[in-house]
Order: sequence, then C-alpha cells, then structure tokens
Amino acid sequence: MKINSNDMDEKTLITKLIKGDESAFELIVSNYHNLMLSVARAIVGEAFADEVVQDAWISAIKALPKFEGRSSLKTWLLHIVSNGAKSRVRRENRMVSLDDGWQSISSDKFDNAGHRLDDVLSWDEATPEALLANEQLQAAIEKTFQELPPLQRAALTMYDMEGLKMEEVCNILDISASNARVLLHRARTGLHQCIDKFQDK
Amino acid sequence: MIQCKDLTEEVSDYLDGDLPLRKRMGLFFHLLICRCCRNYLQQFRSTIKAVKVFRPKEKESVDTKALAQKLHALNCKDD
Repeated sequence: MKINSNDMDEKTLITKLIKGDESAFELIVSNYHNLMLSVARAIVGEAFADEVVQDAWISAIKALPKFEGRSSLKTWLLHIVSNGAKSRVRRENRMVSLDDGWQSISSDKFDNAGHRLDDVLSWDEATPEALLANEQLQAAIEKTFQELPPLQRAALTMYDMEGLKMEEVCNILDISASNARVLLHRARTGLHQCIDKFQDK
Repeated sequence: MIQCKDLTEEVSDYLDGDLPLRKRMGLFFHLLICRCCRNYLQQFRSTIKAVKVFRPKEKESVDTKALAQKLHALNCKDD
C-alpha cells in the first residue's frame, strides 16, 4: 500500500527512516526527488545533476539522526542539494548559462504606445480542473515546462508548486530577489502562452 | 501612464503583491479601464493555479524506486 505523505508527519517519517522502514524510503524519494533534481539542474546543469542529487541523498540519509527539525524536511533537503551543486560548480570551475532561450511576448502585439492591438478574450474553460481535463493540453504543459531553462523551472517549482518563500528560493539558487522574480515571470509567461494556444483551437 | 505592455511585464509581481504602491495603483487603474488586461490577468491567474494543481515534472533519468532501495540498503549497512 502506498503511504500518503499527508497521513504521516515529518517526525514519524524521520523515525521510520532511521529505523530502516523501506516504505518510508520510497515515500521520501518519491516526494522530494523531483524537486531536488530541479534545483540541482538549475545550479549545476543537466550533466552533473543526477550525480549531485544522489550524493545529496546519501549525505541526507547519513545526517538524518542529526536533523533537528528547525526547518522543514523539504527545505533541509533542498539546502543539502543546493550546497552540493554549488561546490560541484566550483570544482568544475565552469560557468553554466542556465537561462537561455527566453522569448518575451512579441512586441507586434502592441502599438508604439504600448496598447494592445488584438483583443484578449477570456478563456472558455478557465478553472484548473477544466484546463487539466484536456489531456492534450496537459501533455503540452508538461512539454513546455520541460523545455523551459532549468533556472526558470526551479523557480516555478519551488515558488508556485511547493509554496516556498521567495527568500528561500533566492537562498537555494543563490540569486537576487529581482532575478528570481524575472525567472518566475518568464516561466509563467511561457506556460500561459502554451495554454492560450489551446484556447484558440 | 501605464499601458497594456506594462501589465504583461508586471503581472507576476502584481499578483504576488510585490510592487511599490504607486506602480500597483497605476496597474489597478489601468485594469479598471482595460478589459483586455483584465482578461489577461485572469488567464495568468488560471495558469498559475493550473500549474499548482497539475505539477509538471522534470524529465527523469533515474529510477526513483531503485534509488530508494539503494538508500535503504545503505542505511541498513551503517547500523
């Protein structure tokens, strides 16, 4: 049986992990692996990310008995992976450009004064449930998301999906607040354009 | 004077409440008179909600179940 994360608080989960409960290991990995991978890719790039995340998991599991619960387990794990990724970047001594490929909304949508030329209509089916009932759209959202630059994906994942505070996002990615806001806005704009295309059909 | 283009650039900060009052008021008044931008704002809000509900994932390259087993084995060995 699959254990739902809501059914188990963090303390119980950690106790189970330390005791070596196999299902607890499956739960923690399925809950946080994707998020850790997103952060690692944003900092160190695709090539080293898997290795960095695996190392982070191993250090985290070893350090679990010392986890004091001063932050959430999620934030704690993210700091471990972020530190690992940053030191990997230093070791590889390379600059990774992880925010290429941004296309702003084309300026031909506006006149010289910045007024819209086209009408913007409201979406017919605008609730998340309605949007996501469309499987093709769901696949398109996933594809668009995966093609976003890694820093944009990480900012969106942490802020919009995981509900981390902006300050945490900046700490973890080691970027300024204004930079984080730009990344978040670009990611959202990319996904908005993807959904909007479906509404035209 | 706020224009439609400004709204498309500031819409995230507007929704997240991260703008100075003056800018916020400017956008607010623009939204009162511009239906297109009201629709755009609503679409943007729906986009954020949809992402929150759908939670698109990273492309994975490792088997997470195998990783969990590996960590479990490692933990047992240390005991």
